[in-house]
Amino acid sequence: MSNETLVSVENLGVRFAVKRGGGWGKASYLYAVDDVSFEIKRGETLAIVGESGSGKTTTALAVARLVEAYQGKVDLDGTDFLSLDPEELRLARAKMQFIFQDPYSSLNPRLRAEQIVREPLDSLGTMDEAEKKEIVDRLFAEVGLRPEQQRLFPHQFSGGQRQRIGIARALATQPDLIICDEAVSALDVAVQAQILNLLRKLQADLNLTYLFISHDLGVVQHMCDSIAVMYMGRVVEHGSRMDLFNNPLHPYTSALLSAVPSVDKARREATKRILIPGDPPDPVNLPAGCRFANRCPVATDICRQQDPALRDVKGGHKVACHLVGEDAVSPL
Amino acid sequence: MEPLLKVENLRIELTTRTGVAPVIDNLSFELGAGESISFVGESGCGKSMTALGIMGLLPEKVGRIASGSITFNGEELTTASPKRLRDIRGNDISMIFQEPMTSLNPVYTVGEQIAEVIRAHQGLSRKAAWNQAIELLDAVRIPNAKGRVSDYPFQMSGGQRQRVMIAIALACEPKILIADEPTTALDVTVQAQIFDLLNDMKRQTGASIIMITHDMGAVAEMAERMIVMYAGRKAEEGPVEQTIEHPRHPYTRGLISCVPHIMSTISEERHALTEVPGIVPSLSDFGQNRCLFASRCNMVTQKCLEERPPEKPFANGQKAACWYAEEV
Repeated sequence: MSNETLVSVENLGVRFAVKRGGGWGKASYLYAVDDVSFEIKRGETLAIVGESGSGKTTTALAVARLVEAYQGKVDLDGTDFLSLDPEELRLARAKMQFIFQDPYSSLNPRLRAEQIVREPLDSLGTMDEAEKKEIVDRLFAEVGLRPEQQRLFPHQFSGGQRQRIGIARALATQPDLIICDEAVSALDVAVQAQILNLLRKLQADLNLTYLFISHDLGVVQHMCDSIAVMYMGRVVEHGSRMDLFNNPLHPYTSALLSAVPSVDKARREATKRILIPGDPPDPVNLPAGCRFANRCPVATDICRQQDPALRDVKGGHKVACHLVGEDAVSPL
Repeated sequence: MEPLLKVENLRIELTTRTGVAPVIDNLSFELGAGESISFVGESGCGKSMTALGIMGLLPEKVGRIASGSITFNGEELTTASPKRLRDIRGNDISMIFQEPMTSLNPVYTVGEQIAEVIRAHQGLSRKAAWNQAIELLDAVRIPNAKGRVSDYPFQMSGGQRQRVMIAIALACEPKILIADEPTTALDVTVQAQIFDLLNDMKRQTGASIIMITHDMGAVAEMAERMIVMYAGRKAEEGPVEQTIEHPRHPYTRGLISCVPHIMSTISEERHALTEVPGIVPSLSDFGQNRCLFASRCNMVTQKCLEERPPEKPFANGQKAACWYAEEV
């Protein structure tokens, strides 16, 4: 594994105008992604975790420019993604592909499997038919589908097989980065294991880089090399897989981890559940201080007054919490 | 002592375009008072159908109880009149569903929906029922219950809506609460709150809980006993901890090991997940006289394809429908 940074996201921000009460009042914004920065090394997997509404999917969409960011920078292998014009973007997207959550709605029901997988190549327009056919044949084999299944329509496949088609389509243009947005959430556990194993095998074989969005911390633990935890549009903690699971620093990360039910008796007995009462604050009228302060079991005055910045506390382990000192010890 | 709920040789048939299929095939189990059990399995294995069968809520003209018996407190439910079943539902046995948005009526306030159940079953006055609705909202830990009781479902978050569902289900202090994937649509921290609430309620009212889930972690956290369903049949039953520790059916083993769990120690090294190849058979293949898991099993022999395996009991209370249960 190289140490080369493939993706670098800096101060990314996405906001949506929300109308409140009508009339001529000043526009107010919902900051779905607020000042988010991270890097992904080539051949590695960064997971973004968080609960619904935390901004993880919007972050992924903004990285791929499927929603427009109002500020920030996305650099993919030297290409400044956010400043490309539409035609450049169309070609550059070959290097960044998406695997979606719902294998039922993300495939065109009127196209045959083979056409679905070939479409990205058609759109690039740089290959003749024979080349494309060769690539499609190889992709079908790689994702574990049989050659005769190329002629079938999406409804003739099971959910897991459809997700394999989605993966083959994402691989078609030989992308550097694949964004998996809840790619296994809609699948039954046994099928989920098949797809996760496939994704890891492909990563090893093709040196793929994944941005892996998931709410399932068990899956994330298995798939990722590093993790960014999001809460209310912010990254609140960012570190390696081992750091984050073995030494979570942000109280929200700790609460999130402690909430996952486990089959492991030792873990159940060792983990004290940290219940976080209440609901997240109104995303349009954010509080002045830390966004987690109203639910945090250890919040102090400074937390309610000052917004904590994400800072490196120990060899790349970053956290946005006033109460974590230089010793990198959880305040809980 | 007679169990609270006893299901014996239950067979539920569904009429499909291709014919009649046994969606539940010879299922027997018991539920004691105050006990909590979990049904686990992939989609399409008959978990929800079991619940609907107990509730007498099978889809009309499509599903029917073909044979077997369900006795609640000594009373036979399969032959009970629709009126009697209506009495029992909501009063003695209630159910909460997966999707808290679609199972609440969007045009009534949550208070009206809770009060409706109380008035229907306990004949209280409008005012008394309303006051009790506020108490129930408070009991399921909705902050400012007095103010929120007049809210419509859309004004509440997913977790709050599921609390309202729980309040409705608990309104008449049922003896059995059936929870069908109660937290699947919810975030994990909200799930933790709901589990916490259900456990508290169980302690206070002594109700039995049947929870349907696909999450082994949730089973370990919530249930004392578990029943693994596969293709309409019981694959395995047993005390939760021992069954997870040492499953006796290859399907149970597969279900546990195919999921990446967060363990007490996370190691740098990761192995490929154990795969259970293939998918659940389609309804038209249910009911055959062979092991229906055979096509996905790595221990399969000729015998599995020729005869349905009987349930083998073990000394610790585990039972597994596998010819090779001792070897698993």
